[in-house]
Formats: sequence, structure tokens, C-alpha cells
Amino acid sequence: MSTARRIIFGPNPRRTTVRIAVLALVCIVVFGWVLLPVRADGDSMLPTYASGRLTLVNRMAYIRSSPRRGDIVAIRLAGPRVVYIKRVVGLPGERLSVEDGQVLIDGSPLLEPYVRHQHEWNFEEVTLGAHEFFVVGDNRGTSTFGRVEAERILGRLVF
Amino acid sequence: MIWNIPHPIQPTRFAAVHILVAGVFLCAACSWWGDERHAIRARLDAFEERVNASAPEGIGSVTRTVEIGQYFTEDVSVDLGDGTAPIAGREMLMGIAARLQARTSEFRLDFADVNVQLAPGGESAEVDLTAQFIRRAAGSRQSMDAREFKLTMRREEGEWRIAQVVAVETLK
Repeated sequence: MSTARRIIFGPNPRRTTVRIAVLALVCIVVFGWVLLPVRADGDSMLPTYASGRLTLVNRMAYIRSSPRRGDIVAIRLAGPRVVYIKRVVGLPGERLSVEDGQVLIDGSPLLEPYVRHQHEWNFEEVTLGAHEFFVVGDNRGTSTFGRVEAERILGRLVF
Repeated sequence: MIWNIPHPIQPTRFAAVHILVAGVFLCAACSWWGDERHAIRARLDAFEERVNASAPEGIGSVTRTVEIGQYFTEDVSVDLGDGTAPIAGREMLMGIAARLQARTSEFRLDFADVNVQLAPGGESAEVDLTAQFIRRAAGSRQSMDAREFKLTMRREEGEWRIAQVVAVETLK
């Protein structure tokens, strides 16, 4: 075996091939079902996520627990290829309203240190269903918001 | 002289495994290509391509609008949700498409996560997909919006056509 081939494939090419195959399989499983790579597109999550930033969605995050307030989650549309990235502000069963940009949970103001782009928006009070969360982007001037069913939440963003 | 005679069983087994694997792939490929769901996906790909083709001017734009209209049934209904009036019929849809052509040429349409469910009988199908509207700008790929839609497709004269479009409210 030539030196170049030995460097590339190692002393045992067969074992190297098996290792590459196993690595490829692990990558397909991990990045296809466990850690979904996503790229932020648009400015609805500024300043937390700038447009173009790459991140991962942990699809195992909510197997044993439910999304918590403040979690940044990926919400599926027809499937996992295109997702919304939003922050959870309201939990199931809570009453939520927005007055001049201030989110009120059961009538009490919610402290949101992550919001830098504040906007004076209003939202009539709603009571969230047993499996509903209220989500909104951090850039309150441009972000869409609303109630979302728990089954649409794919997972939590890792970083 | 030494004759290198292979083991009498191994090559046969080796060939059998290869034939079996090739057979499985061939069957899978045949069922995929012959499946109506594939035909529907191909039809939606063609529609996407037609919408994204550069917008000509004059008579060319009329031809393009008519071509796009062929992807819809005569009685198509389009419901884009709150704040928009429903569109009823191909004529109305084509009229709107023609008027908005200058604006729609600013973005590219991209379908993702296309899920097709054939109805019993195979003459109609429910399609769930995400439509992404991407701004056309040199060197950048900026999404304008992404929305989920439910389509009802019907086979008419051998072609799959869109009979109903309903926008799904992901965030209520």
C-alpha cells in the first residue's frame, strides 16, 4: 500500500470504511432526528438571533418536560424543514394580555430582559388552553405572535 | 501451475445477495415513480417552476398567466385567512395573478415539507405544505414569509389540478 493511501485509509482500509459508515449513520440520526440544524431568517428574534445565524434544535428537550417560560422554541409548519423561532411567554391555563407592549400574565407584568426592541402593542386577554402556549419573537416591532398547540413545538434551541 | 479456484458456494451467495438488493431497489423505484403521490409532487414542482420563471412583458405575460391558470380547476377556491377576501374560480384567480405580476416577480416561491394523502379512489388528494416566499436579491437569500397551506387536488383530464387552497393558522 502506498504511503498516501496508508495516510488516508490507515493500516486497515476495511475498518476505516466501517468507521466512516458508522460516523455517517450517527450524523444522519443525530442531525435528522435529535439535533435539527436551523438558520435564523429575518429579524423577528433580534437581538437574540440575527438573520443568518446557525443554531440547533434539541428535539428531545420536551420528551419528559414541557416548554418553560423564556424558552426559545422551534415551531413546525407543515414539517420540520421550515420552522418559526419564537420565545415562550405564556403557559397552558394562563390568562395573557399585552398593554402598550407590556406582557401581563394573570394580570401581573412579565419581566423580559431579553427584549431590546420594544414596541407599544396591545393584545386582548386570552386564556390559554390546556395544551396551548403563547409565543412571540424578541423583536416586538416586527415579530408575529400567537397561541400555538404543544404538538407543533419541535424542541428547544440549544444555543 | 496453481489454479485459484474460488469457493463453490461463496460467489453464488454473493451474487444472490446483490440480485436481492438490486431487486428491492428496483421495486422501490418502480413503486415510487408509479405512485400518484409522486405525480402530485412533480405537478407542484412544475407549478413552482412556472411561478418562478422570469415575468415576460406584453403578450408573454398573458400566456404565462394562462399557463399558471392551468394548474387550477375551473371552480378553485382560495382562502388566505383573516383580512383577505376569498377567491372563487379560476378566472378571478388569474385576474388577480395578472394584476400582481409585477409585485410577485420580486420574490421566489419555494415549497417545503410537501405531505400528500391520496383519497380513496385516487382521484383527489389532500396536500399539506409550507410555502416560503423568498426575496429575489443578488447574493442574498432572505425569506419574506413562510406559511402553511392545505390544498385539495383533483385529477381532471389526466392532470392533477389545485381545487382548493386554505391557509393554516400556525399561530392563532
